Amino acid sequence: MIIAFAFLASMTLLAALGVVLSRSVVHSALFMSASFLGVAGFFVMLNAPALAAFQVLIYVGAITVLILFGIMFTQRPQVRRFRLIINRQFWTGLAVMFGVGAFLAYTLNIQDWAGTEPGNGPREVAALGEILLGVNGAPPIFGLLFEVISVLLLVAIIAAIVISRRKTGEEVDRQGAEE
Amino acid sequence: MAQTVGQQLIIAAIPGLPLLVFFVLTLFGRYLKEGAQFVAIFGVATSLVFSCFALFFVLRGDGPIDFAVNWIDLGEGGSFQMGVYIDGLAAMMLVVVCFVSLMIQLYSGAFMLGDKRFAWYYAVLNLFTASMLGLVLAPSFIELYVFWELVGLCSYLLIGHWFEKPSAAKAATKAFIVTRIGDAALFAGIIMFWRATGTTSFEGITQAAQAGFIGGSLFTVAVVLVFIGAIGKSAQFPLHVWLPDAMEGPTPVSALIHAATMVAAGVYLVARTYDIFVQSETAMLVVAYIGGFTALMAATMALTKKDIKRVIAYSTVSQLGYMMLALGIGSFTAGMFHLYNHAFFKALLFLGAGSIITAMNSYNIFEMGGLRRRMPITFWTMVAAGLSLAGIFPFSGFWSKEAIIGSAFEEHFYVLYAMALLTVFLTALYIFRAIFVAFMGEPQTEGAREAVESPGIMTGPMVILAFLAVVSGLVGTPLRDFFGELVAPSTFAAEVLGLEPHPFSYLLAAVSVAVGVGGIALAYALYVPKPERATALSRRFSGLYAFLDNGWYFDALYGALFVRPAMAVGRFVREFDQRALGRFVTGVGRGASGIGERLRPLQSGGAQNYALFILVSVLILGVIVGAQYAFLTVALIAGIALVVVAVGARL
Amino acid sequence: MTPQVQQFLDTLNATIPLEGYLVVGAIMFAIGVWGALIRRNAVVVFMCIELTINAVNLSLVAFADYLPDAGGAGVGYAVLVIAVAAAEVAVGLAIALAVYRTRRTVNVDEVNLMKG
Repeated sequence: MIIAFAFLASMTLLAALGVVLSRSVVHSALFMSASFLGVAGFFVMLNAPALAAFQVLIYVGAITVLILFGIMFTQRPQVRRFRLIINRQFWTGLAVMFGVGAFLAYTLNIQDWAGTEPGNGPREVAALGEILLGVNGAPPIFGLLFEVISVLLLVAIIAAIVISRRKTGEEVDRQGAEE
Repeated sequence: MAQTVGQQLIIAAIPGLPLLVFFVLTLFGRYLKEGAQFVAIFGVATSLVFSCFALFFVLRGDGPIDFAVNWIDLGEGGSFQMGVYIDGLAAMMLVVVCFVSLMIQLYSGAFMLGDKRFAWYYAVLNLFTASMLGLVLAPSFIELYVFWELVGLCSYLLIGHWFEKPSAAKAATKAFIVTRIGDAALFAGIIMFWRATGTTSFEGITQAAQAGFIGGSLFTVAVVLVFIGAIGKSAQFPLHVWLPDAMEGPTPVSALIHAATMVAAGVYLVARTYDIFVQSETAMLVVAYIGGFTALMAATMALTKKDIKRVIAYSTVSQLGYMMLALGIGSFTAGMFHLYNHAFFKALLFLGAGSIITAMNSYNIFEMGGLRRRMPITFWTMVAAGLSLAGIFPFSGFWSKEAIIGSAFEEHFYVLYAMALLTVFLTALYIFRAIFVAFMGEPQTEGAREAVESPGIMTGPMVILAFLAVVSGLVGTPLRDFFGELVAPSTFAAEVLGLEPHPFSYLLAAVSVAVGVGGIALAYALYVPKPERATALSRRFSGLYAFLDNGWYFDALYGALFVRPAMAVGRFVREFDQRALGRFVTGVGRGASGIGERLRPLQSGGAQNYALFILVSVLILGVIVGAQYAFLTVALIAGIALVVVAVGARL
Repeated sequence: MTPQVQQFLDTLNATIPLEGYLVVGAIMFAIGVWGALIRRNAVVVFMCIELTINAVNLSLVAFADYLPDAGGAGVGYAVLVIAVAAAEVAVGLAIALAVYRTRRTVNVDEVNLMKG
């Protein structure tokens, strides 16, 4: 177990670092999907295999592709220098990062988690389904949330189309931007 | 004595009608314009009729009219009433005030014709009449004080009627401020009495004083304070400086307020509270000597004046001094008799002066001359008034002045007698100096040559008043003293004073008449045959002349002592306000905008910058909330805020 | 098997404490926040935001698994979070495209009209 955990943890975290520090945008996207896969592995370890499947399908599948399309449409020439991809908040941001991380770790860990045992997750898909619909012992609010999420997704689709469509008269730009 | 409601209404209408006229004229004056005088005259005439009714009522012997309503009731020692108290003294005053006011308002119709604020003039005049009548009717100190202040206000408004003239505005302010000093003292005296006795009604205080509720020296101090109020209002020494300057107002105003009525309010106050005054010998002496000294002092100041109104103003101060003198030595009736007579002939003198200004637009007697032929009615009425003022037999002034001077001698106040006698001489001298220079001789200027007699509506009241100046004294002759029966001190006061009535002394009368005639003769000798004699005399004694002409340098003295320091304080305060406070306030404004400019770089426009700030703030808050340290909260927020501002400013 | 090897294998097979997952989530969250603060390219910022969302998901599911009284609700929440994150990325990229079209840049700090 520990080996698996260690492997997945290192994969996830190193991939995260790769997202942040990579000089090429496409590399960042690929590092991101590696990180998503790591998290999917975690989900399996946590007795939620259905969720792991969702993670892979949606994140690694759809969102990564979406990001890649976004990169394609906003193409910029690749830069060589680290300076050009990082803004001036590098060190301050590092300090903040350590602060946030420490704060979260500290807060989460001073709680007394004794007496907790793994194994309560929804092993079967049916259990996950019951949770999502808010029946059979799951919080009943999920029923409403489920429906609201579907409306949200509809709204998001329409919004994305409206925001990003070309206005009439605007030129189609073939080539990416100049510097 | 109980009255029916109808009688009470009539009494209440005596001051009520002029007050109503005031409101009507204030609201509708701009539509009435010249018609305002008719409304006003109707009001005052009706008040006169009602006052005669009141007088009749009192004469009939039905006792003083006395009724009141509760005004404020705060319990024990705190209840004040508004009421009416009319005895012989008050009834006499009511008739005098209404009558003189009526004459003045008739006269003003012609004098103030074409004035920009004709209706407002009449409105304030009526407000003044109402206030004066209310003052006369007051049965308690508080009610008297209310009307006292009102007459002071009306005096200010009327002196400053032509406020576009800076001298008039300044004179009005000077009058108000100087009388204010008196008013403050009066109020202090009222408070002292109230605290000691729990009431402010005259009766109540008198009884309490008799019963000994007020200690000796405290009592004297309170009484003297009340007298200082009278000094201010009646322009006695040392608060006399406002009256000559008050001549900046229209002449009918001077006639009404500064001759016959308002300045008489001080004398009236002493008379009304006589029962209180007589219980303090010191106060009585103070009253008498201040009165005597003022009479002499003002008479000397009148000798050198060129402005005829100023001469008459100083004369008023002097005659009021006579009245105070009389009251101070215990001759209540004599003082009031002189007040009554003086109202008529002094008003007449002012109206005559007004007639001259209407005719030739100048007050300087040395620009007049020879008006006797061109303005005969004015001449003869003024001569009548002058003779009455000088106390020549058988004019009215003789009887009352005689009574005062005779009492002074008989009561062994020899210093006061000497002062009074000298004043008689000076009075005759200055008034006939003015009359001779103005009316005799040759016209000195174009204006004098062109002068014509004034219209009937002005000379009519003058003639009526001249008639009164001659005969009004006949109600108080030694043969049958009607006046003395009506206006007498109360039995209590008479007891305390212990006065015996003394017979009319022909010798003293002859002496004072001779002195008066001597004054007239000197005036004639100096000014009529060879006027240069007077100028030569004035040059010989130029120092004395300057001293008298400048009012014994009182104005300069007060100016240096009080006015200049007060102005300096005012200037200092204004500078402080502008410089120090102003700078402080603008400094705050500049500081705020300065800090705003310093903080501007925080708004860098970069979303990530903002996100950074948010995160740092959340972290800090989280730490603080988690740690639950209070002081840490403050220290951290301050420190981190500074750091973030510094960091943000560079980013 | 020797006892040391057995012990070693036992420790290898021990259950992971809850804190382990939470720490990993915390670190991933922190890295994502850092990246959102320092990268200039808007699309990369989106990716870092996705990282933080995943960290949160991880914690949610960990709690769902370990806490007996929760009834597994954390997993349900994680599903909803995934849906919302997807919507957010779609709209956000649409905005980035629109900005790119008018300003020819995806650098976040060049869009600073709110300066001052």
